[in-house]
Amino acid sequence: MSEPTVITEAEFQKFREYFYRKTGISFDDSKRYFVDRRLADRIKATKSDDFRSYFMLLRFQSSGEECQLLTNEMTVNETYFFREDHHFDCLVHSILPAIVKHKKDSVPIRIWCMPSSSGEEPYSVAMTLLERWPGIHDWDVEIIASDIDTGILNKARIGIFSERSIRNVPPHLLRKYFTKVGHDYQICEDLRNAVEFTRANLAEPLDTRNYRQFDVVFCRNLLIYFDDISRRTAAETFFNALNPGGFILLGHSESMSRISSIFNVRRFPESIVYQKPTIIP
Amino acid sequence: MALKRSHIAEVQPELPVQPPHSLPELKAQLASSEAELRRTAILELSKHPDSTALLTAHLKEEPSAIVRETIFTALARLGDATAIASLADCLRTEDANLRNGAIEALKLLPEQTARIIPNLLADQNSDVRILTISILESLRHPKVESWLIEVLEKDPHLNVCGSALDLMVEVGSEMSKKAIEGIKLRFQNEPYIQFTADLALKRINKA
Amino acid sequence: MKRVLVIDDAATVRMYHRSILEAAGYSVEEAVNGMEGLEKALQTPFDIYVVDVNMPQMDGYGFMKRLRAAEVPQAPAIIVSTEAAAHDEALAYQAGANAYLIKPVKPETLLTGIRLLLGESVT
Repeated sequence: MSEPTVITEAEFQKFREYFYRKTGISFDDSKRYFVDRRLADRIKATKSDDFRSYFMLLRFQSSGEECQLLTNEMTVNETYFFREDHHFDCLVHSILPAIVKHKKDSVPIRIWCMPSSSGEEPYSVAMTLLERWPGIHDWDVEIIASDIDTGILNKARIGIFSERSIRNVPPHLLRKYFTKVGHDYQICEDLRNAVEFTRANLAEPLDTRNYRQFDVVFCRNLLIYFDDISRRTAAETFFNALNPGGFILLGHSESMSRISSIFNVRRFPESIVYQKPTIIP
Repeated sequence: MALKRSHIAEVQPELPVQPPHSLPELKAQLASSEAELRRTAILELSKHPDSTALLTAHLKEEPSAIVRETIFTALARLGDATAIASLADCLRTEDANLRNGAIEALKLLPEQTARIIPNLLADQNSDVRILTISILESLRHPKVESWLIEVLEKDPHLNVCGSALDLMVEVGSEMSKKAIEGIKLRFQNEPYIQFTADLALKRINKA
Repeated sequence: MKRVLVIDDAATVRMYHRSILEAAGYSVEEAVNGMEGLEKALQTPFDIYVVDVNMPQMDGYGFMKRLRAAEVPQAPAIIVSTEAAAHDEALAYQAGANAYLIKPVKPETLLTGIRLLLGESVT
């Protein structure tokens, strides 16, 4: 059995700078083990002789495929209810108040979750609105959740979740909105009917041309897995999809600073968000 | 008031897509006073292989920064020689938005951009040479290191060499050592050059 | 400890400035372009900013204008540029910068500038 690959301090620094530049994700020294292990895995998987030759592959491979794969490895991509709950706080305390303040019509407020994945996020939005937003009594809200994968869309429509997935759901909400099904939990029919699940490929701009007049977009932990062109296309798609003044939230380790400058940065107490300008420059 | 179910007309993959607008139709749409319409025209044009010249001509006239960004993305998707040439042209402009947009687009097209790198690195204008090095920063191409060596050996301009040295820290190997040591001698009184050259050498020696 | 935000797309320039500033007792954070710089400045305002001009996504002038327009505690900013023209210096001040230095910057020049703007002793 071969020796496990050792990543030196200098190699870690080099990798860290490169990864920060590309993704905005910064690893401090406490993440050494985490990073080293994954680098070692990828070095082995790509049959590279050592870190140096792996880094050359990473840096110069014209498809950028290894970079995508590595990013997958380096980021935690599990979905569960109320993931990054400060975003839900932000929605009710800052974003929705800002939207209704400038709203001049009674058209429903529209929220787009992309990707829907297995539904945890749009259902979390729904529960947040019903439980924590007083404005739900004054305004209609539509939640649309989309994904490229029809299998996962079906799963989301059925709405059965594991213990792991519901671990952050407060007990009173679990009782109110879920029924136990064996070891799992199914979300109630009212909420399943409240969310519109649709198939769409975000990287394909003509696919999403009907997605318009949204007030809020949740796109968390998706763009980080896209290549550079698709990321820009996605940013443009969201720009088109939003109303002027509309907001988009990205995942905590993501930033528009690596993608596009078409959105304005807004800082709310709960989170940094991005806003489509009210006057298009 | 409550949660309401919405219905979005999905683009069904099995159904035939709307027939594409013709080039003349899209060209007319590019002249629209509405940014939204110009943007949709550009998105459709990015699928027409013959549209590069049209997009390129429009680029310099487009007043909206956001629509311009869409054009850059479209040019990057098309990636033909005309697109590359017009993007390279943008490096000379005073308009920072145009310059940056062009750089971002060129970075997305390694094979095609590689062909024009030597010319750009030999440009009279030191700013163009510096911008070219920033393209190299994200360019996936095996020649990057040799181009940088040539800059370090031959370019007279301090900041051009500084930019090349910065990138050397990431991509430098044994074959660059001589050029890096050379630049240290050439700019002995520049602390930034000494700092960065030492870092590059340290990285190369430790590998 | 005073906090400095260094904004530059070149990793080695950020490292170089960091080494100078940390040796002089400042705490340093980094950003690769104006947009990331803005995000960081909005989260926790800094005591002073050192900002490159030419950066992707959002350049130094873009950062300055938005910083000055934002409702956060303001702080001095040094723009660092490769351009020696008076025109560019004027643009920097118009955008809201307090000082303009030509890169590559010598350590003493950077530190003098920082200390002056922070009202600290220059020697």
